[in-house]
Amino acid sequence: MSWQVKTMAERTGDLLPGSPWTAVLYVLLTILAVTAFVTLCGLVLIYAERKVSAHFQCRLGPMRVGWHGLLQTIADTIKLLLKEDIVPRDADALLHILAPVLSFAGMLLVMIALPMSPSIQVADMNIGVLYVTAVSGLGVLGILLGGWSSNNKWSLLGAMRAGAQIISYEVSATLALLVVVLFAGTLQLSGIVQSQETGWWIWRAHGCGIVAFSIFMIAGTAEINRTPFDLAEGESELTAGFHTEYSGLRFSFFFLSEFLNMFVLAAMASTLFLGGWMPLHVGHFTVFNGIMDLLPPGLWFTLKTSAVIFLIMWFRWTFPRLRVDQLMRLEWKILLPIGFVNLFVSAACVVTGFYFFAG
Amino acid sequence: MSDESIAAPEVLPPPEKHVGTGGAVTGAVPWIDKSGAIGGVFKGIRSLFSGMKVTVGYLMRPSTVITQQYPENRETLKLPDRFRAQLAFNHDDNGYHKCTMCRICEEACPNVSIIITGREKPAVSKKEIDSFVWRLDSCTFCNTCVIVCPFGVLRFDGTFESSVYDRRLLAYTLNDYAGPVASVLEKIEDPEARKAAMEKRDPYGAHTIIEALAERQRAKKAATHAAYAAAKAARIAKKEAAKAAAEAPAAEPAAEAKDVG
Repeated sequence: MSWQVKTMAERTGDLLPGSPWTAVLYVLLTILAVTAFVTLCGLVLIYAERKVSAHFQCRLGPMRVGWHGLLQTIADTIKLLLKEDIVPRDADALLHILAPVLSFAGMLLVMIALPMSPSIQVADMNIGVLYVTAVSGLGVLGILLGGWSSNNKWSLLGAMRAGAQIISYEVSATLALLVVVLFAGTLQLSGIVQSQETGWWIWRAHGCGIVAFSIFMIAGTAEINRTPFDLAEGESELTAGFHTEYSGLRFSFFFLSEFLNMFVLAAMASTLFLGGWMPLHVGHFTVFNGIMDLLPPGLWFTLKTSAVIFLIMWFRWTFPRLRVDQLMRLEWKILLPIGFVNLFVSAACVVTGFYFFAG
Repeated sequence: MSDESIAAPEVLPPPEKHVGTGGAVTGAVPWIDKSGAIGGVFKGIRSLFSGMKVTVGYLMRPSTVITQQYPENRETLKLPDRFRAQLAFNHDDNGYHKCTMCRICEEACPNVSIIITGREKPAVSKKEIDSFVWRLDSCTFCNTCVIVCPFGVLRFDGTFESSVYDRRLLAYTLNDYAGPVASVLEKIEDPEARKAAMEKRDPYGAHTIIEALAERQRAKKAATHAAYAAAKAARIAKKEAAKAAAEAPAAEPAAEAKDVG
C-alpha cells in the first residue's frame, strides 16, 4: 500500500490555474484552520497538563468549571484577555511587544511543516528537518528579546540562561535528528514518515534509534524550557524568568507558544522516531499491517503525539530542576559525546545495511 | 548482660582509615560517586526510572488523591484526629464539666486568649466558674491549654467553619453552664437543686464579658490616674504652702529693698 501525500500548498497550486480567488480563499481557510488548531491544541494541552500534574501529585486539579473542570482553561483564557496589559516604564516598548510575537511566530512556522496525516500538512519541503531546526530557533530570539526589553535583572538572567541552554542543546538535538536522516536518506518530513513503512526507526535502527530518541527527548525538553531544564523561568530563583514583566495577552502568547512547543517537540519525535502518521507496521507481515491500517493515519499521529506529550509531562512532574553547571555538564560532557558516537555507529549501520528490513 | 555483648563490633563498625599522608579515603564514601563515566550514565538513567515509577504509581491509583472537595462533601468530611480548629469544653453525658477554675490554662496561655471569670455568689462550692471565655481572634492554636489542664476539660475539635460578620463574635464562652463541677453536682440528690445551681451560658455572649472587663480595667486605670493626680496635687499644694511659709519672713526685707531701689 502506498501513501499519496497531498499537502495544502499543493492543493492551492492545483486551484491556481482555475481561479486565483479560490486559491486565495483556500489559503485564508488554511491559515484559519492552523490558527484554530493552535488555539484548540493550547486549550487541550493546558487542561491535560493541569489534570496530569494534579494526579501525579495526589491532587484532583480543576474540578469546578464544567464537568471535571473541562471549561477551566476557557475561563482562564477569558480572564487573561480581560487583564490589563502592563508595560514597565523603562521597558523597550517595541521589543517588549515583539518578543512574544516572535516566540509565537517561531512555533507557528514550525507548525506548517508537520505532517499530521497524508492529507493534513500545510507545506512539505524537501528540507523539512532543516527547516524545523532552523525556524524553531526563532523562539529563543523571542525569549532573549523578552528578557532584554523588560529591563529587569531577573528577566535578563532568565533569558540569558534560556539562550545558553537552547543553543547548547540544539547541538545534541540536531545530532539525534541526523541519525534518522541518515537512515531515511531524506530531509523531507513526509519522506521520513514513508521510509518507516516497514517499521519505526526507533526499533528498526536497533540501539541507535533508542539512543537517538532518548537524546532527542532530553535535548528537546531542554529546548522548550520544561521542568528538568526550566532554569529560564525557575520560579524559586528568578520569580518567573523572562516573562516576569509580561501580563495579559502578551503573557498568554508566551504561555501558548510554550505549550505548543511541547506539541511540536512531541510531533517531531513521533514523526522521526515513531513513524508519524504511519500505522504500526512490522516488515512485510501483510495481515498484521492490514489490521493496523484500519485506523486512519491522522489518529495514529494523534495517539503517538499524545503518548510523547504524556512522557514529557511525566518528566516534568517527576524530575527536580538541574543547576546551571549540571545543565552544561549534561550537554557537553554526556549527551554530546554519546550523540557523536551514536551518529558514527548509525552511519556504519547505514553503510553496511545492518538494520531491520534494510533494502 | 555481660560486657562482651555490648562490645563494639556488632553495634559500631570499626572506624574507617582516614586520609593518611598521600593515602586515599578507604571504604565507601556515600557522597562521592565512583561508578565512572559510563556507569554513571546508566546509574542516572536507572534512578530516573525509579522516580518515574513512583509518580506514575500515584497517577494510576486515584485512591491516593488526598484533596477534599470541601463544600460538596461537607456531610462526609473527615478531618485528621489532631486537627486544631476550635477550643471546646468536654461535657459529660449529663452535660456537666470538670472545670474547677484553677486558672492554670489562663496562666499558660501565651497571648491571653483565655479569660476565666468566677461567679460572684457560688451556689454550692467555694469557687464556681461563671464564664470560660476563649478568644479565637488572638489564639495561636498552640495546644498548651489542653496539655496543662489537670482535669482534661479542654480539647481542640474540628469545627473549622468559624467565619462571622463581626470580629467581636470571635470570642466564645466555652462552658454550657455557670456552676459547680460534675463531682459536686452529682452529690446533689434533688434535680431541682441541681438545676438551681446551674445557670445557662450562651457561647456567643463572650464579647460582652470582654468588653465589661476592658471597661473595668479602664475604670481602674482612670481611678488610679485620678488618685495619682490627686496625690500629686496635694503634694504640690503642701510644698507651696511650706514655701510660702518659708518665704513669708523674707518677704519684708525684699519689699524694703524694692522700696529703696
